[in-house]
Amino acid sequence: MLCDNCKERPASVIFTQEGMGGSAERHLCEKCAFQTQMFHFDPSQEPLSIQQFLSHWFSGSESIQPLQQSRDSMPEGPTCPDCKLTFRKFLDIGKFGCPTCYDTFRGQLPRVFSKLHNGHTTHVGKIPDSFNERFALKKKVEEIRSKMQEAIEMERFEEAAALRDEANALKERLAECGNGGEGSDVN
Amino acid sequence: MEVKAAMSINKFMKGAVAGWMTSHGEHSDIVMSTRIRLARNLRGFRFPISFTADEAKQVDSQVSAALLTSDEKGYAYMKMAELPGLDRQVLVEKHLVSPQLTDVKRHGAVILSEDETLSIMLNEEDHIRIQCIYPGFQLENAYEQADSVDNYLEDKLPYAFDEDFGYLTSCPSNTGTGMRASVMMHLPALTITKQIERIIPAIARLGMIVRGSYGEGSEAPGNIYQVSNQTTLGKPEEEILSDLKNVALKLIAHERRSREILLSKSRVALENKLFRSLGIISYARLLPSGEAARCLSDVRLGIDLGIIEDVDMSILNELMIFMQPGFLQQYAEADLTAEERDIFRADLFRERLRSEQQINENNKEN
Repeated sequence: MLCDNCKERPASVIFTQEGMGGSAERHLCEKCAFQTQMFHFDPSQEPLSIQQFLSHWFSGSESIQPLQQSRDSMPEGPTCPDCKLTFRKFLDIGKFGCPTCYDTFRGQLPRVFSKLHNGHTTHVGKIPDSFNERFALKKKVEEIRSKMQEAIEMERFEEAAALRDEANALKERLAECGNGGEGSDVN
Repeated sequence: MEVKAAMSINKFMKGAVAGWMTSHGEHSDIVMSTRIRLARNLRGFRFPISFTADEAKQVDSQVSAALLTSDEKGYAYMKMAELPGLDRQVLVEKHLVSPQLTDVKRHGAVILSEDETLSIMLNEEDHIRIQCIYPGFQLENAYEQADSVDNYLEDKLPYAFDEDFGYLTSCPSNTGTGMRASVMMHLPALTITKQIERIIPAIARLGMIVRGSYGEGSEAPGNIYQVSNQTTLGKPEEEILSDLKNVALKLIAHERRSREILLSKSRVALENKLFRSLGIISYARLLPSGEAARCLSDVRLGIDLGIIEDVDMSILNELMIFMQPGFLQQYAEADLTAEERDIFRADLFRERLRSEQQINENNKEN
């Protein structure tokens, strides 16, 4: 039987719609069924059921298949130190537990984001001013450090000491604007 | 804070029509409202899905302190757990808070601007959700307001932001800009002619999403659709907004053309349908929400096309909000069963339309 909607692909899902005049059955292919389902979502909810998406996509195959099979054999993956979420649990619930999760799962995330955001994996757009400042400071510290290293190698110790003081002053400023437990950035 | 909240609730609840429904913006015959939502989180706190009650309190007090002690723009603060259930439902029906926020076990609160165009949800899925709703088609204006609140907050509080991933949010579908822009559109002609079924998949391919909106539960959506961006990563805010704007403009043009075709090809049948709907909402004794939504859609189309002349559009906006269960019960000052709601809804529609007719007749006599 062909899909009632597109009349192109074979129907694999039966949809029962309850309406004013009783219920109606529609035979749909996976693609149209998915679109219909999106269409009937509660508008106040997120547009997509992310859990479903992630579970389907990362269950080993691109196609929709019984979830349990591959999920049982899937390893837990890295564990977030702040909220104890594992990567597998993240795929299950479709939500990050805390900002640190992004660091913990950094290596796996481009694949996840690529699926959710039409192939895009990095942010383009607004950057908080405070972050711009931090970012600039970090770059400056790195720059001074490499100059300092150069000075030490050339045995220009006075210059190196001056550069060290300059870098320390900048690191203090960095610490002031980054008070959210990102100490590792400063060292 | 306590006294302030109590006074504001009265004020907000008595003014039944939310700010975004009162006046009309551009293309307001088709675009009913425009909404921008920015999801933001504070650095150093876990997301609401896993944070402790203590973290929730700290987030709440930091954000509300930053906003409420600002140059006092008439913001009102309401904690969900301290509001009666019906008041929470009414806030949801006015689209000022999400149903998720009203779960009293979850530390949610909302800060509303006086005109209700701005609502800032605290501890929903993310720590902060800045939401702006404007009447009509006003993507740029709504974004500008949301953006300025965002800048103000960002200056006071450290956001969770990442060089690669942008604004960090609890749901990976919001990561990046954290922005969801949406327009609520009334598309009766595209629905009647079934063109919408072909248009929805096409729009999905452009990275946008179309959903039915409005009504009680999953009942008939009254030909109202919400079009919004689906992705938040890899495109700057301006581009997301202009893409959505272009899609909405195309939908508007399609809808206008379909209306013209309907009028020219089947004027009598269309007039019949629209006037029958006006008849139903003017005389029915039982009005279920699905039927009410359908009839309001027809009458709205009738007014837009100049077929129905004696009803003011603002009444329809009002009735659309009033027909929802929370509002009906608040208006009735009682808990109502589903059938009682249908009776009450019918009474309300009749009374409202009759008073409008009287005003019109008086005007004609003078």
